[in-house]
Amino acid sequence: MPLQESDRIASAQQTLDILYEMSQLLNTQLDKETLTTCVRMIESGVNPEALAVVIQELRRENIALAGRASAVSLR
Amino acid sequence: MSSSISLIPALESLVYSLVPASINDEPLKNELVGHCQEILTSRIGQSHEPDIGHLADLVKRQLLQSSPSGTTALKFTNLLSRLLDQPVLSKKHASIQFLQSLASSRQPSSSIPFLPSLAPPPPPRSSPLASPLEKPPVPLQPSGKSKAERLREYREQSGRPHLPEHLLLRDTLYLLQGISGKYVRLPSQSDGNQLEFMDNARYVISTPTKALIYRLSEVGYLYSRVDAFVRKREESSGVGMIEQSLCHHLQIKLTEYYRLIAVLESQMPPVETSGEGSVANLREQETGLTLRRLDVWINEWRLRMRMMSVCVEGARESQGGALVNLIHSYTDNGDPFIRKFTDQLLEEVSKPFFSTLHKWLFSGELYDPFNEFFVAMDPSLAHVQYMHPSSLTGNINQLAGDSFISPDQDDPRDRRGGLTIWQAKYRFQQDMLPMFVGEAFGRKILSTGKSLNFIRYSCHDSDWVVTREKMSNTGGSLKYSDISGLERSIDAAYSTASQRLFDVFIEKFKLLDHLSALKNYMMLGHGDFADQLMNALGSSLTRPANTLYRHNLTATLETAIRSSNAQSDPPDVLRRLDARMLEYSHGEIGWDVFTLEYKVDAPIDTVIHPDAMFKYLKLFNHLWQMKRIEGTLSRGWMRVAGGARTTFLRLPDLEPSWHGIRITMAEMIHFVKQVQAYCQLEVIECSWKVLVEFLNKREGDLDAMIDAHRTYLDRLVKKVLLLSPKAGREENVMHQVKGLFVTVLQFQDAVENFYNFCLTESTRRDQKLDSDRGLYTGPQDPNSSLDENLPRLLQPVNDYGSQFSEKVQSLVAALQTHPDLDCRFLGVRLNFSDYYRGKQQKEKEKERAETATPK
Repeated sequence: MPLQESDRIASAQQTLDILYEMSQLLNTQLDKETLTTCVRMIESGVNPEALAVVIQELRRENIALAGRASAVSLR
Repeated sequence: MSSSISLIPALESLVYSLVPASINDEPLKNELVGHCQEILTSRIGQSHEPDIGHLADLVKRQLLQSSPSGTTALKFTNLLSRLLDQPVLSKKHASIQFLQSLASSRQPSSSIPFLPSLAPPPPPRSSPLASPLEKPPVPLQPSGKSKAERLREYREQSGRPHLPEHLLLRDTLYLLQGISGKYVRLPSQSDGNQLEFMDNARYVISTPTKALIYRLSEVGYLYSRVDAFVRKREESSGVGMIEQSLCHHLQIKLTEYYRLIAVLESQMPPVETSGEGSVANLREQETGLTLRRLDVWINEWRLRMRMMSVCVEGARESQGGALVNLIHSYTDNGDPFIRKFTDQLLEEVSKPFFSTLHKWLFSGELYDPFNEFFVAMDPSLAHVQYMHPSSLTGNINQLAGDSFISPDQDDPRDRRGGLTIWQAKYRFQQDMLPMFVGEAFGRKILSTGKSLNFIRYSCHDSDWVVTREKMSNTGGSLKYSDISGLERSIDAAYSTASQRLFDVFIEKFKLLDHLSALKNYMMLGHGDFADQLMNALGSSLTRPANTLYRHNLTATLETAIRSSNAQSDPPDVLRRLDARMLEYSHGEIGWDVFTLEYKVDAPIDTVIHPDAMFKYLKLFNHLWQMKRIEGTLSRGWMRVAGGARTTFLRLPDLEPSWHGIRITMAEMIHFVKQVQAYCQLEVIECSWKVLVEFLNKREGDLDAMIDAHRTYLDRLVKKVLLLSPKAGREENVMHQVKGLFVTVLQFQDAVENFYNFCLTESTRRDQKLDSDRGLYTGPQDPNSSLDENLPRLLQPVNDYGSQFSEKVQSLVAALQTHPDLDCRFLGVRLNFSDYYRGKQQKEKEKERAETATPK
């Protein structure tokens, strides 16, 4: 069991690595941690395209916030 | 959605990592999480089937776009295969799609420095339907705003955005099937050819798009025409086989077209409802169907549809072979696409034509229920068959007795000559002949089929045709794509059929025997027979025509045959020979109306047709006259020459008159002999030789045979009767000859009278001598005195003699200018050693001398 468990962890690690590499190839600009979260969410049944929209929305939100912040700071 | 609750922690962590500001801002975090949840529960992207291959393709295409070297794509492929080996993830597809969506959504705003022209322009359709969330960032990206975008914005603001392309696309697909769409309608019957665009206040369709739709809708229009044609033909009856075949082919093509439409439709982006994210939209634009793509797809079909529509148009006006012709006229095209298409079409369409051709060419049967073949049958002759000639049953001897009656008793309605059947039963239809066959071959085909048909039905030799037909079936079928093979088989079939026809005519029906019989009897080739007949008939023919009876004539004919070499001729020939009288009027004597007749029956009458028979009769009439003159002259000559030694010794004072008579008679004999020799040797025998040579060569078909015989006969008629081609004066020379014949007969009568008088005179002188010696020899005839009777008797003799001489002289003059060389040569022979010219000159000199002396 423990051996299998360690195997599982290793292969999960590998999978994540691969996915990360892919995400880099595709220039998604996700860090490893976020990617792990996303993959977990997808595994639990979230619609991938919707999730992609979510990520984009959040990013946009972030930029907007930052812009506002910078505008404030500039002022 | 129960799972949404469990998602919250994960979402929170996402929000934290992506929007760091929210860590310290509780309400912002909550707002964002709530918003994210909303998105996740929406229906974005739920319609896709999991297909990892397709997805991988999309990704690779994307990667290739960003780095055309392909290394990244290769790398991705490696990673993907490695990922697929991993057992951990259950939804690899979903993960990849997630990555891909994220990546593709970044494309437009990606920092990679694309050339602006290569970057796909943001689609106009995305704007009106863009989600409310998309709007706020727009002003924040002033750098990505092109002129097109500004225009689009302007339109949006003015409230007249473009109609989304996918709606137009759907309509266009409808148009391609000839159905009106929602926004674009096909023209209704009344208003012209313009498409109707239903752009309303809300949406505008831009002019380029309209133009594109016009282009596409052409295919739909053509399709509906072709389809309507095919349907109409399917419903109606009495459509020609070639047309049916065309419809079949068109139907196959249309089915292909349907298939294409179905494929295109499956490529069409799903009907999207408004309020959807731009991600899917953008992705679809990469993969799905657009109007421009549709145009590319449909492009080849546009050409094909045009061709089909042209064929359909042509099929309205022409049918059968003409239709094949029409299609064939498009095969001479430099465009390989059109050529291939038409070749294919023609191969298909010409199948029924070739099956008809096969049947016609190899079995002589015309199976053409819709009159599409280039050989057409005359319906009025369709059921006419030859009467069964009795000679074919082989029972010649039994039928020899009644053979003289048969033709006269036939119903005249059914008596159609073989020639009529041969020439008119099947007609050649020029406009139905496919061009790839060519007219020469078309004629050959017609002739071949006709020959076979003739052999089968008219010569009752169907066994041979059936055998041939079986043999031909092994030789492979005729096809459009194998024109050279077609020509070969046509040639082969033609020569075989013609050969066979010749064989049948010459060996089975003994054409040559009949022809030579005609020559021997009708043209007096058998001299002994002619002499016998002349001797036997001569006395009875001088009687009035109405005292002659046919049975007497036929009996005499029998006698003549038996007593001459003619008896060795085959009985089949002899039984056809008949003597009869032409229709006579009052005052005519036997010589005018007597004629020999030779009867032929089917199928020989195809060659020796009634018209030819009439010409033979005409020839016989003339030659028979000539024979009569010859006979009369030779009898007269014998009497005169014999009398010189016996009777006339006692009348030495009349010797000069007799000498003159003999000279004139010799001139006449010379004339008749020359004319006869000319007819028999130079005309009849020479023409006969040509004819026999042709028949032995056995080339050409029945038409050639008929032609050869016709040429032969025409030559005979023209030369024997000395016809000249000058219009209106054709028979001038012949009338001169006939006039000469009459003069000879009159002269002969006069000589006869004079001869009788001489006999009487010599008897009187004998009596006188006897009484001088004191012997009583009966009462003296004081009235008969030489001096008073002599001028009365000699006058006509001399008159006719000089008349004859003058007539021959003018005949010779006429012959010298005759256009026919042989006739001119006859003139030379008659005028041997310039006899008549010399005479003319002598007379002239004499006249000159006479006019000179009084001075």
